[in-house]
Amino acid sequence: MGTMVTMSERSRAEGQPDESPWSKASGAFIAWRSGDARAVDELVSTMTPVLWHVVRAYGLDRQAAEDVIQSTWLGLVRHHQTIADPQAVASWLITSARRGAAAHARSARRADPVEDESLHALIPDVESAEALAMLDDEAARLWGAVASVDERCRKLLRVVAFMDRPDYQSLSQDLDMPVGSIGPTRARCLAKVRTALAKGGGR
Amino acid sequence: MTEHDTGDNALLEELRDMWLTYDPPPSDLVATMIAAVAAAELDQEWELLVLVRDSAEEAAAQVRGLATARMLYFTVAEGWSLDAEIDGDQVRGQLLDFDGDMGSVEVVVETRGSAAELWRAGLDEFGFFSIEARPAGEVRFTVHYRGNAVSSRWVQL
Repeated sequence: MGTMVTMSERSRAEGQPDESPWSKASGAFIAWRSGDARAVDELVSTMTPVLWHVVRAYGLDRQAAEDVIQSTWLGLVRHHQTIADPQAVASWLITSARRGAAAHARSARRADPVEDESLHALIPDVESAEALAMLDDEAARLWGAVASVDERCRKLLRVVAFMDRPDYQSLSQDLDMPVGSIGPTRARCLAKVRTALAKGGGR
Repeated sequence: MTEHDTGDNALLEELRDMWLTYDPPPSDLVATMIAAVAAAELDQEWELLVLVRDSAEEAAAQVRGLATARMLYFTVAEGWSLDAEIDGDQVRGQLLDFDGDMGSVEVVVETRGSAAELWRAGLDEFGFFSIEARPAGEVRFTVHYRGNAVSSRWVQL
């Protein structure tokens, strides 16, 4: 062909459906449980970046985010036999990471009640502040718009953005919302972002 | 899908790209997690099938004339245990208090080093297994069930 193609373009060209992180994760999990020790590395490589975004949705700094992700993986090693359906391994990991992050955020709030929530969301930590300086105009507008909406919306949007099929049942417990309201809330939160964008980025 | 849903999905996709680009995971995060999981797995292996009784450490067994047989008794935090006896060219044993399908269990006996060998056996309905094997050097037991593998540490024979 003579031109560079991305993985997804290549697999489409060969008539293969794109392999999502979710199916990759369950494939690796099945292989690991049936004795392929190296398969766990693939599971970790596939799901760690997803867990990062889920945990950062709770406003955790880099160190706390790493701690929560590590606890999530150690929990998997210890309790993987309780996962009856291997297809559910990604959901299991995401739920576990969300709970760890929520618990951490709660205890951090208790320790530091005067923390500036909106500033925290805008600039999660020093390293991200450096990244922020590199935002192009469009991304800066989007980033500012998201930072201007309420905390619950920010959390919901970031978690939902990184989930394949959002597990509304467990999301509703963590975010303290009725299950039926998550779909409409997602739409409302996106509308808030859109409004903030229209106002010029909300910053 | 309505036009509105399409717009929402597109905006969500934009947000996703923004987070992916501007708040990516630290470059060493995956490697750190792979190492953490590998270490945890090792701990698990060492911990899970815990040797709680060894006839080599009990003078009484020798007095009773059982000096040729080595009896090892392992327990697992989940509550079941593995009783094993290594006698001449036989390794026999029983899984006790196991709350699951005995038919799905496989016991693996391994030796390592220059005498490295591996034997496998299923259980009968009462949880007994019997393997024709003459392990030498260091031996390790692993119990496989429902995709789970539980190992003992290496025991010097």
